[in-house]
Amino acid sequence: MDLFKIPLLQRLTERMDWLGAREKVLAQNIANSDTPGYQPKDVVPLDFEDHLQKLAPVEPQRTNPLHMVGTIPPKDPIDSKKQKKPYETAPAGNSVVLEEQMMKMSQTQADYNEMVNLYRKHIDMLKTAIGRGV
Amino acid sequence: MDLMDSLAISAAGMRVQGERLRVISENIANADSVSEAPGGDPYRRKTITFRNELDRQAGLDLVKVQKVGLDPSEFTRKYDPNNPAADNSGYVKLPNVNALIEMSDMREAQRSYEANLKVIEVARGMLQRTIDILR
Repeated sequence: MDLFKIPLLQRLTERMDWLGAREKVLAQNIANSDTPGYQPKDVVPLDFEDHLQKLAPVEPQRTNPLHMVGTIPPKDPIDSKKQKKPYETAPAGNSVVLEEQMMKMSQTQADYNEMVNLYRKHIDMLKTAIGRGV
Repeated sequence: MDLMDSLAISAAGMRVQGERLRVISENIANADSVSEAPGGDPYRRKTITFRNELDRQAGLDLVKVQKVGLDPSEFTRKYDPNNPAADNSGYVKLPNVNALIEMSDMREAQRSYEANLKVIEVARGMLQRTIDILR
């Protein structure tokens, strides 16, 4: 049985991927909290339209072995954008507010834990159904 | 994997803050370094700037040290004819290091370092919980 054919587990995994991507973006913001001119980013909220775009990414194909492979890494499937309205901007043009980023990070962590717990619960339910108990 | 990437990004963040602390300690240690020759220039304060740059090996944007530069501000002059670095009129040029600025810079470096460390803790916690699904 393929666990990913269960829609709930599939959704949970997707959400976990998204939260992982958000954690990465937040880590980047925090690492650049002293970089002049850096604008903080955040991931685009998960919705159906993005999901559709994610399914068919447009990429150049290598039709000849002489074609050079791009050195630019492939774009992340989960998009991130610059934050439109930063809380405040430092004289050097940096708009990262550590407190704001920390808040988002703990939110991400809490959501992630929630997803993991739901996942485990569902697996436990499957085990109960199989009859081996939890 | 995104969580592993977070660890690499934060580690780069911590590394540049460490580099910054090195520059700060150099400034503080040289706060009284005057010129060896009479009338010469003393130690010039160093500055550090960062930038976010694509690291091709990791395939990620990592924060790096852009440049360790020199602070172009004026030296202070002090009348001290007995000092070996004094010029003909008896003035010594002192380094343009301000201990207060260095201290607040140091605090900021520490704060950023801790923030990066916290990110590592959180990312590690998330990874750990994912692995715990196996149990």
